[in-house]
Amino acid sequence: MTRQARCASHAFFALFSLAAFLCCGSLPGRAGDSTLSVQLDTSRAGPRVVESLTRQRILRDYRFAWRSLSEAVEFNTLNPLNGPFVGDAKRWLSETVTSQQKSGISQRYTHQSHELGAVFYAPEGDVIELHDTARYELEIFDAGKAVDSQPIVVHYVVLMTPGSDRWVIRQLQAVPQF
Amino acid sequence: MRRILVWMAVCVIQALSGGIVLAQDLHAPASVTAGDEMTISTPATGNATFYLVGPGISRRSSITGGETIRLRPDDLRNAGRYMVLLCSGTCQSTAFYVNAATPGSLTFLVHPSRVPVSQPDAISGVALPFDQFHNLVLTPVAVDFHLTSSKALVLSQPASTRNGVAWFRATSGKSAGMLEVTAMLGDLSVRRVVQQVASDPCNLSITGQQVRGGFLVRTVPVRDCAGDAVPDGTIVSFTATGANGKSTVDAPLKHGIAQAQIAASGDTVISVASGVVMGNELHLRNQP
Repeated sequence: MTRQARCASHAFFALFSLAAFLCCGSLPGRAGDSTLSVQLDTSRAGPRVVESLTRQRILRDYRFAWRSLSEAVEFNTLNPLNGPFVGDAKRWLSETVTSQQKSGISQRYTHQSHELGAVFYAPEGDVIELHDTARYELEIFDAGKAVDSQPIVVHYVVLMTPGSDRWVIRQLQAVPQF
Repeated sequence: MRRILVWMAVCVIQALSGGIVLAQDLHAPASVTAGDEMTISTPATGNATFYLVGPGISRRSSITGGETIRLRPDDLRNAGRYMVLLCSGTCQSTAFYVNAATPGSLTFLVHPSRVPVSQPDAISGVALPFDQFHNLVLTPVAVDFHLTSSKALVLSQPASTRNGVAWFRATSGKSAGMLEVTAMLGDLSVRRVVQQVASDPCNLSITGQQVRGGFLVRTVPVRDCAGDAVPDGTIVSFTATGANGKSTVDAPLKHGIAQAQIAASGDTVISVASGVVMGNELHLRNQP
């Protein structure tokens, strides 16, 4: 093999390795994203118009909040609730986790899809109310053993307020219907 | 053929009735009000494990089938969806909702805290009723918004909550001073205060006199077009244009007046501005 051919071979191998690394590195992220989809319709929001950038932030932060909520109730840890939740939403979620720690119960939310609709956006932009039609698979575990699993559709009334660096969930209340 | 049809019909009826019996076995009301008691009837299945999973609660207990489970008011404080599981070999489940109780508090957001007078739609308020357990009350309730200035009612606006929210928007008053904004819901009343301040200066005017090495310029008391004194701290800019070029001095209002000493010689034109408002010009000559 000539020196040029050897160099070309090394370059090809390096490129191939880099591509493989990038693909493998990105796979878990994609898989995670695919199990939690969030759509937001702001066309009915008022009296203030939801700007495009605000809409993107709310989508990003709502998705993150549900990921954190799922992690908290699955692994019975309070840490994920710090940040995305404040006020009463954080209080009852913390109570849920603390209660689960005592009872040995845990919950797993999978295949989540959230259809969000903004129904109120305050004149000064300091609070937004969302209606979320959430579809997910809810599994209940007792001491790590699955005792129930079922697909569920739940309607949530959500109040979000802008925090210092993100939108946070202040109220998360399931209702029979909107 | 006829026998087969009859047999299939019997099977279907049995399956349906079986399903109904199963659904009737574990029974909970479809909905309950936050802070109320409720009971859940369980089927006679021998020893079983009972699970209650809901907002703020996660309970596991061993029961004897046929027992009636009593949930205390404290168990059902948080509005939301609760799930009940009964496991004895296999598991049965049912769900119920806890709805918010009657309003026990009112969250009232008012903006801004300080507003210039006579600004259209400058003041807004949002009221959200919560029950005593901090659940958002979603059934429509009447909220009255009152705006009073110097104990005189400026605006009274009744509203009804929609999706748990009532709001208003109003023009700021005609004179500077405190504006009390109150939201009332039955016996509940929440008050906020908005400071109304003078709007932009009107008829900005200056006088000047020669001093050693320049001029001392001073505004007359600065007021807005309604006659309210513009707040102290508002910046007034004096600009001097002369043979040596242009120089600007910014001075804050103090007791309604701004003043500055400007170094200049020869013929000088001094102008004044505050925000977007321009005042008069002075043509001065500094004589040695």
